[in-house]
Amino acid sequence: MKKIVSLLLALVMFAGVFAFTNTASAEEPVTLKIWFHGSNVSPEASKKVLDELNVYLNEKIGAKLDVIWGTWGDFDTAVVTALAGGDNVDMYFTCNWSADEYNKYARDGYWVKLDDLLPQYGADLLATIPEGIWECAKTNGYDGMGIYAVPALKDTATQNCWDVNGTLLAELGYDVDAICAKGLDYYSPEFEEMLQKAKDLKASQGVNDFYPLCVEPMVLERLVNVTSIVTGDLGSGNVLSYYYDKEHPAKDIGSKIVNKFSTPEFEKYAARTYELAQKGFISPSIQNVATSNDYRTACQNSGEYLISTQSYAYGCEIDFSKARGIDVRMVPASAPYMDSTSGQGAMMAISTVSKNPEKALQFLNLLNTDPYVMTTLNYGLEGFTFNKNADGTITWIEENRATYSPWRNGMGNVRILPPTADEGVNYWKDFAEYYNSAEALPYGSFIFDSSEVETEGAAIANVFAEYAFGLCSGATDPAAVLAEFLQKLEAAGINEFVAAANEQLAKYAG
Amino acid sequence: MRKNHRLNQISVGTETIFHVIVGLFSICCIIPFIFVIVISFTAESSIREIGYSFIPRAWSTGTYTYAIQRLPQIWRSYFNSILITVIGTALSTLMCALYSYALFRPDFKYRGFFTFFSFFTMIFGGGLVPTYVICTQVLGLRENYAALIVPLLVSPFNIIIMRTFFKSSVPLELIEAATIDGSGEYSTFFMVVLPIAKPGLATIALLNALAYWNDWYLSLLYIKQNKVLQPLQALLMELQNNVEYLNRMSAALGSSAIQEAMRAPTQTLRMVLVVLIVIPIACAYPFFQRYIVSGLTIGSVKG
Repeated sequence: MKKIVSLLLALVMFAGVFAFTNTASAEEPVTLKIWFHGSNVSPEASKKVLDELNVYLNEKIGAKLDVIWGTWGDFDTAVVTALAGGDNVDMYFTCNWSADEYNKYARDGYWVKLDDLLPQYGADLLATIPEGIWECAKTNGYDGMGIYAVPALKDTATQNCWDVNGTLLAELGYDVDAICAKGLDYYSPEFEEMLQKAKDLKASQGVNDFYPLCVEPMVLERLVNVTSIVTGDLGSGNVLSYYYDKEHPAKDIGSKIVNKFSTPEFEKYAARTYELAQKGFISPSIQNVATSNDYRTACQNSGEYLISTQSYAYGCEIDFSKARGIDVRMVPASAPYMDSTSGQGAMMAISTVSKNPEKALQFLNLLNTDPYVMTTLNYGLEGFTFNKNADGTITWIEENRATYSPWRNGMGNVRILPPTADEGVNYWKDFAEYYNSAEALPYGSFIFDSSEVETEGAAIANVFAEYAFGLCSGATDPAAVLAEFLQKLEAAGINEFVAAANEQLAKYAG
Repeated sequence: MRKNHRLNQISVGTETIFHVIVGLFSICCIIPFIFVIVISFTAESSIREIGYSFIPRAWSTGTYTYAIQRLPQIWRSYFNSILITVIGTALSTLMCALYSYALFRPDFKYRGFFTFFSFFTMIFGGGLVPTYVICTQVLGLRENYAALIVPLLVSPFNIIIMRTFFKSSVPLELIEAATIDGSGEYSTFFMVVLPIAKPGLATIALLNALAYWNDWYLSLLYIKQNKVLQPLQALLMELQNNVEYLNRMSAALGSSAIQEAMRAPTQTLRMVLVVLIVIPIACAYPFFQRYIVSGLTIGSVKG
């Protein structure tokens, strides 16, 4: 008898436990952990914003958000360790330039393939993001060709521009508007004359170490030669190039993927850059890999340059003019184009470790389509980080905004954010128009999978590191070293590397 | 006949050369630090115009005021660093002394095994990821102070130093004598052995204190959300890495990188943080130095 009673009691207890856990899981919102890049958010500000956002998210999708605000400096190391260690994180920031590189991690099985989930849990999202951008997100992952992360609808095109110091140009007696409308020709005598005049003017003011041409060498090469990077070629140091049409990037000009340094265009570019450097227009600090970026940024910020290079983002000249205290002009060197590099600039992936991938996708759906969710997570709370103006723009409350500044472009669809007062009412409309006008390159959203030529890639990267920067920045004379460089590249297997890329491209084009 | 003929006297010429060499070496060590201090007091405008210089065009204490008033996290990080260093040094030195004492005692049966057990980790590490998994998932070391203290508690290198120190400075007869006098194991260790081993302990303590004070990697791995726990070094590394990363990635990020970089602290602010970090540990040095010097000479006097 006793035995039966105790058995019954035990059963009741078990049932009770089960009943309890069941009800508990039905009521408790699911916690979704998400990891962003490039944030500057204090723990207190984060709590304040998330407390309010989570009430809304719970109502909408029965979930609450727990955010890891990765910073620029720590993201790469921390995220790679966490992914390898199988941390309990549902969503990660990924892209084609961070350490958790999208295509590689998709191949290695870290991201959930979204193709089957999207129609059911992300229908609005599917409709919001243009087909072209989804196309860029398609990659050959562990589960076949498909979408492994949600691309951010942000500055999704690339346009190389000359960054011109309009104030200084006007001081030299030029008609700034006319020059900017006409565009700049790197090989023209006028270009050189401008630099010389600027140098002379500064010298007459007692500044002898003024270098008017303040460029990012690798960008200058792409800008002048009108080439794009080949997505997936980061391992070799970006030795591959793809030439496109200056005015209509979509036009098929019969381009193939080439070794950037083997073209006659490159030889001409390197000779010209060397010539300009010899005349003292390019600072030795620019020609040194270690100091180049720091020095360039410092010169740009203080307005100590005449002509610089910039990978354009819509409206950046307004920000730059304000920050540098000069009239910054952006002179397009070619039309904006779209490829996987720009399409994969920022994405959110769902980790295969996640226990609730559906909920996570529901959240990403909301983040990219619900202005309240995007604004709150990206900008903070009204009355805390910003105030709304009558015309629909917002004004920052600087003091609190400083403690809550995520990286705006790193989350998702920025086009549903309210514009700031500085940007003006029509900012996002113009923004969308600009980026939607960008043409896709003829090879579309091709992504090079360099894993089969990894050995060659590593060898090429070594040779590349020895010569490329010097040639692109005008530090070394191409007449003396270019042949030697190409020979070494050949020995490292550049021909196999380029052939592999073109073979894949042919297969991709079908 | 010369008076006061010292035992280890060398000729004046040799002594001069030695002084010059050592003097130059000291200058080499101290100049970078003086440079950092100068930069931290340099006005931002001067850096923009002429770069870093020993003689800036304009001086300013503005950055210090800014750091002290506008960055409340600095003070919290200061507190964190000191807390972690004090607790960590005390615990790790104690553990090191206990472990190496056991290895030093010849009557400890598993001496060979435990020596190998600690020595083995010097040659073969578990690797970053397994360590990370054990720490976060098994030991729960994340988002708390323990995560900044526990992983550095045991250092096999220090254990070997300490064991050697015990061997050279603590005679086994002393322990026997203590036992005969009725001292238990604990009182022998704490009352008899440790006081003799003070110089060794101080060396270990200094090494540990430096390790804790300078560590930022643990914070990078284990403190991702509760960032108020960041020690000072981690705060500095983060600011520094942010700037470097944005510079490195400027081609990929485009104008985004420049817009982000504008928010980063200025070069002087980074130098101010370096000064704030170095001062406390520089103050700790003279305190330990006495023991280290005596630790170095003690063996030679014994012969």
